[in-house]
Amino acid sequence: MSALRFVCFCSCLAVSAACGAADGGFTSLLNGKDLSGWTMLPGKQPAFAVVDGLLETRVPGGSDLFTVARYGNYVLRFEYLLSKVGNSGVLIRCDPKNPWGTGVEVQLLAPWTPYRDDLHCTGSLYGHVAVTNRPDETTGVWHRMEIRCDRNVIEVSVDGRRTTVADTRAVKALDAKLLSGVIGFQSNHSKQGEFAQFRKIEIRDLDADQDYVLAGFSQTDERFRVQAREAAVALGPAMIVPLARVMEGDAAMARSVARQALFDIVAAASAPQAEAAARDAAARALREALGAKPSESTAGYVSWLSGMLRK
Amino acid sequence: MKSGIGRRHFLRQTGAALAAGPLIARAQTPPSERVRVAHIGTGNMGGAHIQAFAALPEVETVALCDVDSVRLAESAKRLVQRKPTAKPETYTDYRRILERKDIDVVTCATPDHWHALVAIHAFEAGKDVYGEKPLSYSLREGQRMEQTLRRTGAVFQLGTQIHAEDNYHRVAEIIRSGALGRIGTVRLWKNGGTRGLGFPPNQKPPDTLDWNLWLGPAPYADYTPVRCHGSFRSFFDYSGGVFADFWCHIADVLFMSLQPEGLSTVDARGEVPGDGIADTPKWIDADFAFKGLNVHWTTRPPPVPGAEKMSIGAHFEGEKGTLTCDYKSRKIRIGKEVLDDLPDVPVTLPRSPGHHRNFLDAVKSRGLPESNLPYARKMTLPMHLALTSFRLKRKIVWDSVKEEAIGDPAANYLLGRTNRAPFV
Repeated sequence: MSALRFVCFCSCLAVSAACGAADGGFTSLLNGKDLSGWTMLPGKQPAFAVVDGLLETRVPGGSDLFTVARYGNYVLRFEYLLSKVGNSGVLIRCDPKNPWGTGVEVQLLAPWTPYRDDLHCTGSLYGHVAVTNRPDETTGVWHRMEIRCDRNVIEVSVDGRRTTVADTRAVKALDAKLLSGVIGFQSNHSKQGEFAQFRKIEIRDLDADQDYVLAGFSQTDERFRVQAREAAVALGPAMIVPLARVMEGDAAMARSVARQALFDIVAAASAPQAEAAARDAAARALREALGAKPSESTAGYVSWLSGMLRK
Repeated sequence: MKSGIGRRHFLRQTGAALAAGPLIARAQTPPSERVRVAHIGTGNMGGAHIQAFAALPEVETVALCDVDSVRLAESAKRLVQRKPTAKPETYTDYRRILERKDIDVVTCATPDHWHALVAIHAFEAGKDVYGEKPLSYSLREGQRMEQTLRRTGAVFQLGTQIHAEDNYHRVAEIIRSGALGRIGTVRLWKNGGTRGLGFPPNQKPPDTLDWNLWLGPAPYADYTPVRCHGSFRSFFDYSGGVFADFWCHIADVLFMSLQPEGLSTVDARGEVPGDGIADTPKWIDADFAFKGLNVHWTTRPPPVPGAEKMSIGAHFEGEKGTLTCDYKSRKIRIGKEVLDDLPDVPVTLPRSPGHHRNFLDAVKSRGLPESNLPYARKMTLPMHLALTSFRLKRKIVWDSVKEEAIGDPAANYLLGRTNRAPFV
């Protein structure tokens, strides 16, 4: 099954690369001027700064840097440069209060002495999953890294070559980690004078893609179905028509997730503090779903839901 | 044997003739010797009702009703085994029972979404009702039940049997005595919640089940066995999960003891199961603000001494001490002392002769039974609000006089439901 999945990923990647829209669905996480959208932990020395458009960390033992936003499934890509014995890392799907306990570190490390093995070198899921293709670890030059978190599969590439593939369910320690969380960069983990620099930090949020989210409704692992449902709810009224369509399908599992997601979207739109535009969009979408003449049970459910939006 | 018919006939005649209405007519009617009972819903609790009522000397069990013909035949067989003289007639449609003028009392142990309609139709047909918990599927139905009860003068008892036992009476005496000081907080809990039930395919209902009638006022849904017998409470279409199943059992001791008033906010949180088609709470925690009293419901025992060993319970926190209880036990903690009772608190509450007996006595006296409808409705109301808050994922601000959510039309919408025709 895993092998099959990987074939799928490869073809997906190929397609997205070939499509090659200007941004390919990626948005930048760094404005090049300051750390808007990022946060460091209070009580620790700030270890990150934006210098000449580059993000860099020089202070050893200072605060790590975290996104304010949370992400579940995504493709993160960026370029990095390490000093001679630089040491940093990327924290994925973590809680900033306990990043290594709740999430995973993708290592960024100079090939310093003592030599670190494949389980602890650049590209490894530090201490959990080794690289199978050891990347170019030359320091002082820019490398590209891409980290793909796709439900239970985490994949790392360096300079366009895949180094690491992990099925989180196959590694006990990873199976207990969060499925979504913030993204972090580790502060200089080497001595004074060493540093790490980052640029072109971009993300493609897979949970913002309707089809990707709907595909999650049929995941055999309950946790990913719940994640997909939450992602659908976060997408709001725009998901109503697609969800009503899923309720017309044959798959009991997907129908059930869609039913709950529909309720939660309409409930959120019905909140006293919800924006009028969101409420109107939800009401309109429910009417559109009814217009498609669904089955008796779907039609009954959708028209019942629309009652929640009446003033 | 004809006394039942005669009495009901008389009631109808007098009721129609008197402008004052049937309430007065009934109060003046001398009780007949025999009480003719019909049971609607013959599953787990229905089966228990059949046996419990058959054990009362003046009861004549005359009719049984179930939408499942297998259950119906089995329950008739069990009744005759217990009482060989019984000759119950069997029905699929409860409305045929309500048409019979010779029946005084019906019990109702249908799924929750039928409770209110059966009771309301029974009241209107001049029957008294012993109804299973929860009182009703929705808050608005509960209001309609009480209005109909007041208009018709029927007697209603909610089937919360624990209410009749000594422990809740004693807890109420101790709390009301003031021995623990003013009670500012009560914690209620019940371990466990709804399971997902998997993703079974829909199928054709068995020929022995009238699925349309089983659904009744609930929205139409294709049949699959887990929606029906035994696990229907896992679905919001019919109930509110383990929470709705157990709320009234343990909230009862709170309402007996403190009669909380002035509910102003209800704030619930929790999760639905992810491993199946069930959609009621896997866990639910809720905070209720009454006037001068905070009540907290949790799906796990609260962090108070002794609670972790109790799968269901109530914990009263007073200025001078605490009391922790369940159906059968109680522990009072004052300072370092742990006691089972406070002998100085006098016995003031009359004990029940048994929940079914108490109901039959009220049927004859036309008085209020111990779990009467106005009491049961007050006790059930916070449950509906907690489930609505859970579903909407937001706090409900409540006007306890108008019985309306303030500034939240969607909450008010979810507190009622338009019944599926023709079940209105």
